[in-house]
Amino acid sequence: MSVFHDEVEIEDFEYDEETETYSYPCPCGDRFLITREDLENGEDVATCPSCSLIVKVIYDQEQFVCGEVVSAPTASKELVKC
Amino acid sequence: MSSKGANSYGQLGLGHREDALLPQSLKVFSCKHQSIKSIAGGGGHSVVITDAGELFVCGQNKEGQLGLNHTEDVQCFTSCTSLSSVCVIQVACGWDFTIILTGNGEVLSCGSNSFGQLGVPQSSEGCLIPQKIESLKEKVMNIAAGLRHVLAATESGMVFQWGTGMASRANRASQGKTIPAFLTAKEPCKLTGLENVKVRRVTAGSYHSVSLTDEGELCVWGSNKHGQLVNKEIFLAAPQKIDAHFFSNEKIGAVWSGWTHVVAQTETGKVFTWGRADYGQLGRSTVVDDGQREKVQRSSEQHVEQLSNVPVSVPCLAGASQIACGSEHNLAVVGGHCFSWGWNEHGMCGDGTEANVYAPKPITAIGSAKPFLIGCGAGHSMVLCQTLTFWKPYPALGTMGQRLSPLALGQGCPPCPRGPALGPRSPTKST
Repeated sequence: MSVFHDEVEIEDFEYDEETETYSYPCPCGDRFLITREDLENGEDVATCPSCSLIVKVIYDQEQFVCGEVVSAPTASKELVKC
Repeated sequence: MSSKGANSYGQLGLGHREDALLPQSLKVFSCKHQSIKSIAGGGGHSVVITDAGELFVCGQNKEGQLGLNHTEDVQCFTSCTSLSSVCVIQVACGWDFTIILTGNGEVLSCGSNSFGQLGVPQSSEGCLIPQKIESLKEKVMNIAAGLRHVLAATESGMVFQWGTGMASRANRASQGKTIPAFLTAKEPCKLTGLENVKVRRVTAGSYHSVSLTDEGELCVWGSNKHGQLVNKEIFLAAPQKIDAHFFSNEKIGAVWSGWTHVVAQTETGKVFTWGRADYGQLGRSTVVDDGQREKVQRSSEQHVEQLSNVPVSVPCLAGASQIACGSEHNLAVVGGHCFSWGWNEHGMCGDGTEANVYAPKPITAIGSAKPFLIGCGAGHSMVLCQTLTFWKPYPALGTMGQRLSPLALGQGCPPCPRGPALGPRSPTKST
């Protein structure tokens, strides 16, 4: 049995711009959390503050270079270049 | 009514936020002398429907999923007054949204709309008051909600799906091929591939969907990561029937789904489980007693891993009159007793421990109280009991249901012989 409850692609996380935190539903009702800074530092374990379950975040660290913001998976933003 | 399990947002309706490892009776719940018809739960919220079609809600409300026109969490069951003019007959709770079916077949929604779960044409803004999904023209008979998607079965047996929860998995599995529109729809979209069947009931897992036809067959689609679709593909973009031979060639009469496991009951009463098994979700282990727990669990894990993608009958659940699935745990009423099994880290199995339950076992803390209704949220459980054996004598309870004895309540029912149920969860937790 894997130590991880699940392996979840970063695109399936929701992103909170205020806290710069990615979150994903935990079966307990709380959310697995990992900050953008964690991802930039190569951390790939999202933890749930309410229980022992953890998930492995599948992402490309190169997309999380300091200073860049990856668009939130839930917000359909269109970037317009002038 | 008693609640147990995770309680971070007050979803247990107990008036506080501490987890409960044993069933606790609700102290403050009044629904004006009405009987309770059904109980359901979502990620962090709970709902109760009365026979009169009134909806009571509590728990997490950050996205407005309680439909109370605010976003404050609510720790006691509260009437959803904005629905006072409609008769609610079914409620499906998603992760952070709520889908409501009315007696005349209309569907309303409230809460988060980040994935188009509300089925309304607006933007990704959520909704704090239930609003009607106008684009569903035909009368809807049954609804279901997954983590981020919704299903509706209509009177003529069609299925509509909306909410884009499955889209990313579908895209990754499709390897560039076009995926069906219903997987990416933000408004109700008719399922393709179900033209030759009439669907009567629907249920949803985190990323899969299940429909039960009028012929007693199951059609499934979505994620099959844990074998929950009884298939070899990792994702099914089109509905596929599960062959009846998996169920001893019997017709299926009812089906329920956890996040990644499925429970079905045949018309003769046999209960089959399949899908994710690692926390005991399938309840297939033989009787586990404390002395042998470790050993039995280990061997059963290996056993169920091999067969978890194949429906297997669980004999002790045969004849169950009710079943409810949480995310990774389950409740069932069998022979007048309430059974639980599966993930138990927050005490949602109600046995006073946090150890997973690998074989269905009666919830002894309920005592001789007959379970009348059961319901689960993701990580919490609710049981409405017919007798008041373990209830505390609070007057508010007396108004909870006519099925409870109003006389006993009016005179003050005896306090729980076991004393108040456990409060805060143990501070020590294995990691």
